[in-house]
Amino acid sequence: MKKGLVILLVFFAALVIYPFIFKNPFPRHLLIMIMLYGTMGIGWNIIGGYAGQVSFGNAAFFGVGAYTTAILLSKYGINPWIGMLLGCFFSSLVAVIVGYPCFRLRGHYFAIATIAVGEIVQILFTNWEYAGAAVGIYIPILEESFFNFQFHTTKLPYYYIVLAMLAFALLVCYAVEKSRLGYYFRAIKDDPEGARSLGINIQNYKLVAFILSAILTSVCGTFYAMYVLYIHPANTIDLWLSIHLCIIALIGGLGKIFGPVIGAFIFIPLTEFTRVYLGSEGQGIDLIIYALIIILLATLRPQGLWGIFAKSSS
Amino acid sequence: MEGVLAQTLASGLLIGFVYALVAVGLTMIFGVMDIVNFAHGEYLMISMYFSYWFFILFGMDPLYSLPAITLIMFGIGIITYYIAIRPIINAPMLSQIFVTFGLLIFLRGVAQFLWKVDYRMIPETLASGNINLAGIYIGRPQLVAAVGAILCYGVILWFLKNTKTGMALEAVAEDKEAARLMGINSNRMFALSWGIGIATVGIAGVLLSTFFYVFPEVGGAFCLIAFVVVALGGFGSVVGAFLAGIIVGLVEVVSGYLIDPSFKFMFVLALYLAVVFIRPQGLMGK
Amino acid sequence: MKKIFRMFCLSLLVLSFASFAYAQEEIKIGVIYPLTGPLASTGQVLLEGVKLAAEIVNGNYNLNMPLAKGEGLPKLKGAKIKIIPGDHQGKPEVGMAEAERLITQEKVVAILGCYNSSVTATASQATERYGIPFVNESSTSPTLTDRGFKWFFRTTPHDGLFSENFFMFLRDLSKKKKVGANTIALFAENTLFGSDSVKYQTKYAEKYGFKLVGTVLYPAKSTQLTSEVQKLKGMNPKVVMQTAYIADAILSMKTYRELNFAPEAILANDAGFIDPEFVKSLGKDANYILSREVWAKDLAKKKPMIKIVADMFEKRTGKHMDGTSSRAFTAMIVLADAINRAGSTEPAKIQEALLKTNIKADQLVMPWDGVKFDPKTHQNMLGKGIIVQVQNGEYVTVWPFNLATKQIVWPFPKWEGR
Repeated sequence: MKKGLVILLVFFAALVIYPFIFKNPFPRHLLIMIMLYGTMGIGWNIIGGYAGQVSFGNAAFFGVGAYTTAILLSKYGINPWIGMLLGCFFSSLVAVIVGYPCFRLRGHYFAIATIAVGEIVQILFTNWEYAGAAVGIYIPILEESFFNFQFHTTKLPYYYIVLAMLAFALLVCYAVEKSRLGYYFRAIKDDPEGARSLGINIQNYKLVAFILSAILTSVCGTFYAMYVLYIHPANTIDLWLSIHLCIIALIGGLGKIFGPVIGAFIFIPLTEFTRVYLGSEGQGIDLIIYALIIILLATLRPQGLWGIFAKSSS
Repeated sequence: MEGVLAQTLASGLLIGFVYALVAVGLTMIFGVMDIVNFAHGEYLMISMYFSYWFFILFGMDPLYSLPAITLIMFGIGIITYYIAIRPIINAPMLSQIFVTFGLLIFLRGVAQFLWKVDYRMIPETLASGNINLAGIYIGRPQLVAAVGAILCYGVILWFLKNTKTGMALEAVAEDKEAARLMGINSNRMFALSWGIGIATVGIAGVLLSTFFYVFPEVGGAFCLIAFVVVALGGFGSVVGAFLAGIIVGLVEVVSGYLIDPSFKFMFVLALYLAVVFIRPQGLMGK
Repeated sequence: MKKIFRMFCLSLLVLSFASFAYAQEEIKIGVIYPLTGPLASTGQVLLEGVKLAAEIVNGNYNLNMPLAKGEGLPKLKGAKIKIIPGDHQGKPEVGMAEAERLITQEKVVAILGCYNSSVTATASQATERYGIPFVNESSTSPTLTDRGFKWFFRTTPHDGLFSENFFMFLRDLSKKKKVGANTIALFAENTLFGSDSVKYQTKYAEKYGFKLVGTVLYPAKSTQLTSEVQKLKGMNPKVVMQTAYIADAILSMKTYRELNFAPEAILANDAGFIDPEFVKSLGKDANYILSREVWAKDLAKKKPMIKIVADMFEKRTGKHMDGTSSRAFTAMIVLADAINRAGSTEPAKIQEALLKTNIKADQLVMPWDGVKFDPKTHQNMLGKGIIVQVQNGEYVTVWPFNLATKQIVWPFPKWEGR
């Protein structure tokens, strides 16, 4: 365990130092994306990996987070940090509204219901005049400061904000795993009948997992909105975003605290580099590579890559 | 107004048959082996490309190349089963989702690599044109596709109820243990279900190619609809998928006409949610 | 097995931290297009247009256009243009990251792109922050130049101007042919492009005194459009103004034929209707569609230079030149001309030179009156659209009447008689 702690500290230290070694925006952007997806991956892992409910609709929470912040800021001038908190509130609300009926569904029915919910949320935002409909929202450019959550000349503050988000997500996940919640979640995943007979209220605990998942994803939505400064439905509430989150959790290891972080560290660079270096000539090759990785992992190592790292560190 | 309504219903019905045909393979595979094939739409895409290339390279009309492509797709289904699906039959549901999902990305990648992302379409086929039925216009390709779908359903139902192999398939779907005790080789049945499932979506692809364009991501939209159809009809229920296909087609077209096309797809999804909340096993599921 | 996995992960990590920057003497220009993803076919065509322009600037060609004669940029000792492509996949945040990568790692002196308005929006925010000129060739969302950016320039007319062209055309036509095309229905996909166009078409319909009988918006990834076309039929308009990308454009044409819907004219808004795949996929069903265009090959009859450039393009790519590739081509020429006049690769000097751009109509492969940027919005003030019609599988110019090469076929013939 001590060794694990040392590795964790080294890992975070490396992340803190990283932007001082790589001063160009692109490598920084890359790490920002990795940490952002890592955070969302952890969010997905709580509902999907721990509680075993495959959600293909987490992009809806990302969208709600991004839109809440953007609308409040552009229409009422409300500070984006408050927008972030309200985004979490609305996402949780959506999680409850959606989760309450959906959690009665099992397995595949639940997975497809979440696809449906994600798509419905996208259609609603695409047609909602007040929220800019298809045009989306240009976020007003404010003076750059931490208070305003906007930085125009450097990516450094964005970098540390998302690093803090990642650390927060890991803490949440750690707390879940060490508490009774983690035990309940696993029971729901592995043996729902047994859990029920032990008197665990399955519905309620699934909801708790979904809310935690929603909050972690919503925070990322706010971050994204403030990072790109322009959002629209097609890229904030996209089915593919939800799918990427599952892949990230799968690559790293389902139901493992660090799984999604490892997954993001592999998946995002792979996406970026195949896009940049194969993209225009070898169209489709990047997709073939992901596909083979996903199929091989799911077939040969469904527990993800986490085990390899864990073994060597414990 | 009545004429318009009749026209709308006719259009919805026709597209509904096509949806049903796209979905039947998905529901069969699920019924027999409890696996959702997320790559189902991609097989539709592959078969549409076959149809397109048979037309471009050999000048074969889709209606003539249909039998050959059906056979090829049957083979592809069997091969897919032995290479990708068999190793994960007993794996957790998550692994199964990811493997078929990987297949989806794989097939899309192959299509993009081989054929680029251009939109392609067969300009004129034997089925082109339209028919005027007492003021209601019906596209001939749509009509051909609908008739094809109904025939295909007839054959499948006959096969399941009246042949030994078909009944064995049903038996496996019903209860794997019991089927094993009865001496049915479930592995072969699984392979068969993949063969038939992919062959039917292959037929749908060929018929669709007479009036729809093909590009590497064409499967996406149809696959999502197929999911809704299958879940609405009840996973594993062939008859349920037929009914659900028609319902989805009608809901999409009628809500698009009467309410607002921007929301037509939302009504389809909402219908699905409403049904599964009230009846989580779908209309005809057990 | 484990070892291999570990090696694999490690090598990926190493790969991700290595940066790939190297120095070159040429003048590097970043070009960001959707080279993968659903819009890749368009992206590739655009990139080829830009590459052809660079080739003409770099080589020695006897054409009446800036920098064609003599190799390279004369004021920069014959320096050559080098295109550094970037792929944005149609995603705004990827477009922004690509702009930043091109600026900081490839050290490009200017950026050209991005086709999709939503990507141009974010990528130009990056260039604005870094102070690098951005020339946009074909994103037509009007809001882009309303932002008042200092480094952002747009050569193409935007949707507002194009929408007005439709009504000018209809007005001219009714004077000339006495057709009473007075009722209009709008039909559009509901993303940015479609909904923006509808907004302006609604505005101009009122201004020019046309009656709007209805608007139908639909989701872009529809598998069928029957209810939409039913609605249109019910409105019984004389003219349908349609805005769609290629997939919906093909689908809607098939549906018109299926449901036997033939108004007096289908007046399409560029994009899907002028994509090379449109005519290829639909064959003779594509005939008689009217579309606004920014360019047409038959303009060559009035401007012989267009034919030379279009032939060069076709030889390179095997595809016909079109409104997208010619605009990409033109934007590159405009940018190269500005860099040459700046006599420097300093961004501020290039920006200054861009503002002083004054290219005459006869030096362009476009039907515009020239290129001159508005000092405040940096929108090209001399841009202009044309109306083309598909006749026998070819796009021919039918408006403005002084540039027309064929008579317009009006009304749109009924489907049965074809």
